[in-house]
Amino acid sequence: MTQPFLSIRNLRKAFGAITAVHDVTLDIPKGQFLTFLGPSGSGKSTTLYAIAGFQDPSSGDVQLEGKSLLAIPSHKRKIGMVFQRYTLFPHLTVAENIAFPLRVRRRPEAEVKKKVGDMLALVRLESFAARLPGALSGGQQQRVALARALAYDPPILLMDEPLSALDKKLREEIQAEIRRIHRETGVTILYVTHDQEEALHLSDRIALFRDGRIEQIGTGEDLYLRPATDFVAGFIGNSNFLAAEHLETVGGAATVRLADGSLVSGVNANGSLAPGQKTRLMIRPEALRLDRGPKTVELVVDIIDVAFYGERRRIVARTSTGQEIDIRPTFSATASHDVAPSQRQVFFDPSAAFLFPA
Amino acid sequence: MLLDYDRMGWLKIALLGFTALVAAFLLLPVVFIVLLSFGSSRWLAFPPPGWTLKWYQELFADPSWLEAALTSARIATMSAILAVVIGLLASFALVRGQFRGREILRGLLLTPMVLPVVVFAIAIYAFFLRMGLGGTTIGFVIAHTVLALPFAIIPIATALEGFDKSIEDAAIVCGASPLEAKLRITLPSIRIGIFSAAIFAFLASWDEVVVAIFMASPTLQTLPVKIWGSLRSDLSPVIAAASSLLVGLTLALMVVTALLRRKFQR
Repeated sequence: MTQPFLSIRNLRKAFGAITAVHDVTLDIPKGQFLTFLGPSGSGKSTTLYAIAGFQDPSSGDVQLEGKSLLAIPSHKRKIGMVFQRYTLFPHLTVAENIAFPLRVRRRPEAEVKKKVGDMLALVRLESFAARLPGALSGGQQQRVALARALAYDPPILLMDEPLSALDKKLREEIQAEIRRIHRETGVTILYVTHDQEEALHLSDRIALFRDGRIEQIGTGEDLYLRPATDFVAGFIGNSNFLAAEHLETVGGAATVRLADGSLVSGVNANGSLAPGQKTRLMIRPEALRLDRGPKTVELVVDIIDVAFYGERRRIVARTSTGQEIDIRPTFSATASHDVAPSQRQVFFDPSAAFLFPA
Repeated sequence: MLLDYDRMGWLKIALLGFTALVAAFLLLPVVFIVLLSFGSSRWLAFPPPGWTLKWYQELFADPSWLEAALTSARIATMSAILAVVIGLLASFALVRGQFRGREILRGLLLTPMVLPVVVFAIAIYAFFLRMGLGGTTIGFVIAHTVLALPFAIIPIATALEGFDKSIEDAAIVCGASPLEAKLRITLPSIRIGIFSAAIFAFLASWDEVVVAIFMASPTLQTLPVKIWGSLRSDLSPVIAAASSLLVGLTLALMVVTALLRRKFQR
């Protein structure tokens, strides 16, 4: 295997008695967009700060092209960073802000001018060059911060929840900008967020953090379609968990008995499960459908509520043991879209269901 | 709100009257001094029998007044510069530092503001006599720097507290060394605080009289000391003229500060 571009080796960070990052090991190829996703306090920001050099790890290493970064102070690490809070220099204009990393490096004035122009074009704020940060909206400020971070072509760009202060519509708009800029510049991006939609939308790969460890790392599809643990399944996307008793597993396909006594065969089993072990069966709301399919099994329910959401319908149902489940059937040309008042079952393909230890 | 000004009825008038009285009590002596400095009566009679500029002529004709004013300006400038530099360093420690005894240090640095001036004056007088600093410019500047320090620390520390450290971190990731980031980004961002600190520190020394009396020598007199000394030997309207100029400069500096603050804050 070729040498990884950026490599995090057994990183650990403790603050007194509290260990924020336990043992994180991770390789990032050049040009990849990797997101650290996780709830607050899961260690994702601490890991990013260790890469930036704001926090020294308690043990472990961060290597760029095989060389350790730890002994190098932040300002010599050749990284760009966009922060959660607005960090434009308030007394400098937009153009001077973007020029700052170049001026610090004493680049010739002609180059600075050209680069500032290129960067303003990249974030589409050409007409704002002479404004002070105070005269910009939050979204514009973060775009300028992005331009400033990229101005001297750092090989790595760190982004610490850069969109969390913005409203939803603006967030989506700037997500599209970030995707485009990643495509156009090919810079390696490490992105921290607690927003799973943002992570799925932006990333090549996602590292899902939990309690200072990486719970699963993979593409968005990996995490969504093949969650390794019930935490991943619960964190990414929507999910229904049904109590189930594990009977047997043959070649990764398990047979379980649900709480209402019905048997389901062919669900995906994760890890080794003992016969009779209590488990939770995870089914995505959109894997549940209203009509029978070629390989589906049925689930007996009472339908409580049907709401129309435009692109899809959301149905709330209750199983015979009283558990509420969420159903979001996708519209398709062949499937039935209507819920008959008398309907008492919903259907799912066991291969789209996942079994986890309870 | 319990005490809403708009709903106080007749109390409103009483409150207005009381406020006006307090303002008059504070300001009238100053107004009288200024008026008397233009009055023609040698005995400071009020109302003045006529108006004249001769006291100002006399003031400017006497080189000892000018010298005292220059001494005041020199000592106030040096004290202000020292107080701002020390205040800046102290503010970084007080705002950013995390060490035991930080609050004690803060209290200690602000004591000159609450300590009775005369106590401080006697203490530092005795100390400086021993050190051979009595009656010297250096001694004067050190004493006034100590007095001015709280007035420098308060606005600078307040400005620094309001400055998001992430901005400085951003400058560091951009490639600036920690010192460079402070010089090029943090200091310009808190310049209103630094400027206010300089003005307040200057004024703290400029119109200070108690410590100055102890620090002064026959050859080293600040304007307030000279006024005080002259007042004891003879009561001349020239003193009123000198006091008016002192008040005038103070007022001018306060107005400049207020205007600059307003300009920066937009």
